[in-house]
Amino acid sequence: MPEAVAMLHITKTFPGVVANKDVNLVVQRGEIRAIVGENGAGKTTLMRILYGLERADSGTIRVKGQEVKIPNARVAIALGIGMVHQHFKLVPSYTLAQNIVLGVEPRRGPFVDHERALREVHELSARYGLTVNGEKKVSDASVGEQQRAEILKALYRGADILILDEPTSVLTDMETDELFIMLRRLAADGKTILFISHKLREVLEVSDNTTVMRGGRVVGTVKTAETSDRKLAEMMIGRETVEIPPREEPPQVGQPVLELEGVDVYDSRGIPAVREASLVIRSGEVVGIAGVEGNGQVELAEAITGLQPIACGRIRLEGREIQNRSTRQIRQAGVAHIPSDRNSTGVALEAQVWENLIAVDYHAPPYSGMLVLAINRILSYAKDVVTRFGVQTPGLKSPTRNLSGGNVQRLVVARELGSNRARVVVAAQPTRGIDIAGTEAIRRMLLEYTGRGAGVLLISADLDEVLALSDRVMVMYRGRLADAGRVDETIRQRVGRLMTGAEP
Amino acid sequence: MSSKARLKGLLIGVAMQAANYALILIMALVVGAAVILVSGKNPIDAYIALFQGALGSPIKIADTLDRSSVLILTGLAAAVAFRTSVWNLGLEGQLYAGAFAAAWVGFSIHGLPSPIHITLCLLAGTLVGGLWGLPAILLKLRWDVNEVVSTLMLNYIAILFTAYLVAFPFRSPTAFMPGTETLDATARLPRLMIPGSVLNIGFLIALAFAFSVFWFLYRTKLGYELRMVGFNPRFAGYAGMPVRRSTFLAMIFSGALAGLGGAVVITGFFGRFISSFSVGYGWDGMVISLLAQNHPLGVIPAAIFYAALANGALAMQSATGVPQALVVTVKGTIMFFVTVQFFIAFLNRRLRQWMPSTS
Amino acid sequence: MDAFDILGRIITLTLFAATLRMATPVLFATLGGICSAHSGVFNVGLEGLLDLGAFFAVVGSVALGSPWAGLALAIVSCLVASLVFAVIHLELKAHEIIVGLALNLFAYGLTNYLLVAILKATGFYKSPLIIGFQPVNIPLIERIPIVGELLSGHSPLVYLGFLGVALAYVGLFKTPWGFHLRAVGENADAAEAVGINTRLMKYAGMLLSGALCGFGGAFLSLAYLNMFSENMTAGRGWLALAAVNFGEGRPLKSLVACLIFGFADALAIRLQQFGLPSQLVLMLPYVATLVVLILSAIQRSRKAEQVLESPPPAAKPVEV
Repeated sequence: MPEAVAMLHITKTFPGVVANKDVNLVVQRGEIRAIVGENGAGKTTLMRILYGLERADSGTIRVKGQEVKIPNARVAIALGIGMVHQHFKLVPSYTLAQNIVLGVEPRRGPFVDHERALREVHELSARYGLTVNGEKKVSDASVGEQQRAEILKALYRGADILILDEPTSVLTDMETDELFIMLRRLAADGKTILFISHKLREVLEVSDNTTVMRGGRVVGTVKTAETSDRKLAEMMIGRETVEIPPREEPPQVGQPVLELEGVDVYDSRGIPAVREASLVIRSGEVVGIAGVEGNGQVELAEAITGLQPIACGRIRLEGREIQNRSTRQIRQAGVAHIPSDRNSTGVALEAQVWENLIAVDYHAPPYSGMLVLAINRILSYAKDVVTRFGVQTPGLKSPTRNLSGGNVQRLVVARELGSNRARVVVAAQPTRGIDIAGTEAIRRMLLEYTGRGAGVLLISADLDEVLALSDRVMVMYRGRLADAGRVDETIRQRVGRLMTGAEP
Repeated sequence: MSSKARLKGLLIGVAMQAANYALILIMALVVGAAVILVSGKNPIDAYIALFQGALGSPIKIADTLDRSSVLILTGLAAAVAFRTSVWNLGLEGQLYAGAFAAAWVGFSIHGLPSPIHITLCLLAGTLVGGLWGLPAILLKLRWDVNEVVSTLMLNYIAILFTAYLVAFPFRSPTAFMPGTETLDATARLPRLMIPGSVLNIGFLIALAFAFSVFWFLYRTKLGYELRMVGFNPRFAGYAGMPVRRSTFLAMIFSGALAGLGGAVVITGFFGRFISSFSVGYGWDGMVISLLAQNHPLGVIPAAIFYAALANGALAMQSATGVPQALVVTVKGTIMFFVTVQFFIAFLNRRLRQWMPSTS
Repeated sequence: MDAFDILGRIITLTLFAATLRMATPVLFATLGGICSAHSGVFNVGLEGLLDLGAFFAVVGSVALGSPWAGLALAIVSCLVASLVFAVIHLELKAHEIIVGLALNLFAYGLTNYLLVAILKATGFYKSPLIIGFQPVNIPLIERIPIVGELLSGHSPLVYLGFLGVALAYVGLFKTPWGFHLRAVGENADAAEAVGINTRLMKYAGMLLSGALCGFGGAFLSLAYLNMFSENMTAGRGWLALAAVNFGEGRPLKSLVACLIFGFADALAIRLQQFGLPSQLVLMLPYVATLVVLILSAIQRSRKAEQVLESPPPAAKPVEV
């Protein structure tokens, strides 16, 4: 088969980091190539170079046998390269069809011919079995439909080399299966597919060959049929995977610390995001909530912590009702909250490290009096938690922006758990985008905390994480909570069914 | 981190700031020189005259300091609002409202001991200035009305309304320009002992407020909340801080400081309320605050610099014929470059190259 | 004289004709604001741009003896100023509100400086050398009784302004260019990813903004009054910003706001002739702006509340 893409000796450095070092990647026409690696392994950077969003410091690129320079996305598109980003790049107020044709829209005289655009989109959609309703606005379309629109966007521009960046991270298992069927159909049609992922199971399922990256280098390329997830994982992290074993002994479970009874939450558009949610967390217990993101998990966490009003139902903390109290009252009653988006919610990046560390406790003794902050006492407390939680920082007074992502998250955890007051910890995506050492540390901190009699509500889109930490698992789907029961050998199947909306 | 490394880091920081300001100043002077050349004058002569006029003698220095009093206060007003990410562009209106209130207390109450009369005047200015910020912030909190436009509209309304007041109900029959009666002597701020200069205790009041605002923002719970809300309101709400209260207070405090500025300039300098008396004190306050990177103590030198520009401008016009409006152009240029991250980033890269391994 | 009589003498056809006239400068600035808003830039420099336009229109008219030359110079000067704004905001990454305020300050200083330095005048410049725009009578319409008095006999710029609303609508919502511009303003990442040059589009939006303010400024000093004076823009750039905000990016809806301001302005002048204190009646446009701002904000929050109060729609689940 002829060569579709060859990237040879690609090196790319960002200030302080080598993202790609002497990377070679050769992909044949009609191939589905998976590129796997941990966060920060350099896979996305490599693909951004191919799509013209970054420029390599050195190295050459051949597309369909021709040596090319790709200074921007326009050139990449002209070469027949299309990219579907992990975070979709769609204009919310435009329809899906308008998004698909944007930039190369059909015209009638000096005007945009929207009717023809719609017709062409539907033709294309039928040809590849990528069903979309072109007249739907992006804001009304489902995530799967948005992703199909993104793929169509590339195909509409005549792409025959498709780059997909973590395409399954937002999909349910069923949607993932559908996506894979579409990808195989595209490959059979002669399209070349580059597929970035860190989910090995999926990689094994769909790809022809797999390239593994680690620390900016290619570790190796293997035929997928001749490898296993264990081998790939070894290549990815350079050692045997340490799966945290499910917690052997059942924890010392005590009285209920958090109870939800029939809680409804509406989102800002007035659409019910959480419906009749009920759950109980006992002291010493970790309850995990699995599910694809966007099924109401954020709203659930925000309702518990007082950031969103609940329309009906009750929330009790150690027997006392706390629904619709202010965030401060709820926090003082003993709820800690690790938010899913640390940079926009969890910290003020421009503020100093100590200012972020004290943000919950600053308002009461011993850290302040009636009016004035006890700065010295705060600083010595901050110094203490920074050491205890291993936050690497140039200093307590340096801007939080200077910390790495993993350390920002440690800072958030240190603030929420450092004062040892919380009875319930709501932890949303606590280890997202964090390296292995940081992930292990944060998981350990959470588990240790249950040892003190607190309960943890763990919300994570990473099923492995949920299964590794939780005593009991619930699944959130379309705003509803379904109980998947205790973690045992068959939990994965049960959760998988519930995630697609099957009855428990 | 060793203390030596820390010192080195600090020095680099200071050097970067200094170089940054020097660059901004040079850019502004170059643009100014180009504008002066348009009118066929010699920029160097003009700049020398400007410097002489601002700081050429002890009396001139004292007059410049006096002019800085109101600018320090409006600068602080802007700093409090901007630190909280409240776009209070209504300082000019709040200044007018406060100035008129202070003047009214000054000329319509008689027979009070001077300290009490002065205190009442300043209190009235502060209070009414804060009140003039109230509609804009209530509209923002209730209906999410953008405060940029609403505070601006309140500026025009305050200027026109006070102009109406001194043209009709409070017009002094003896004065040539539309204005109120002169204030009672007991309401005037006492001069400081510099013969020939108008410098009065208003300057000391302004300094005291600069330190108080610094203390408030960096040492008190409320100030901490304001700053955190300013950095990231989402974060502040998530941590349990009263975000709406902070936004509200920032606007009211900001208005109050601007109103106090109006009161100080009326009781200290003008001695009565004159229609359209302000030559952009409120607007300058915003630029001063930005120049000081919204830091209350940085406001002091920035305000003195602006006062020197303003006082020097008059001297420059009479000595060389270069119109004093030049200074406004220079101020605009400074504002253009104040928030340009480019300078700082560029300097940062360079300095790090020169002095490696600071961390 | 009863109340109706007074009202009848205040509200005349001339008042409505004046409304159209007074709305024009705000309308131009509003259209400019809409263009930059759609490209994703909140342009608070409209006031300064109007100021520059008004001044250089006078300079051009005096120097070259034609109002059209004045208009051309006004447009060029505003284009240069917007280019500076754009470079400092887009390339040097300065905050848009601060750059906008700086532009206002700079324009105010520069025009007043040049007023003294070039035109040798302080405060204002009025001279027979300023050749202004002549009113245009529209052939057929001028004969129709009421409509003629209302619509005919305005400066050509008034007609251009209203034509501009239509052009802006078509340009922004019907052409590929507008299709791209709005995409850039709403999600620059998405536009960049399909190969639209977002930087170029932002420049285009801001330069258009400047050019339109050039028209508005020229109208002030060559059509509305044949003179330039300090502060002659009197906050019209800010009124325009409110109109942009009110229209939510739609030219026709913003036109309504402009007409309200125009009416308030015209009414203020009319009431002054009736001996009301000028300071009070001059407050009218600003009060009107506040009212418009509040109304548009209430309307927005109503919309949101209606959605919230509607019963949970069972037919529309949270999809995944």
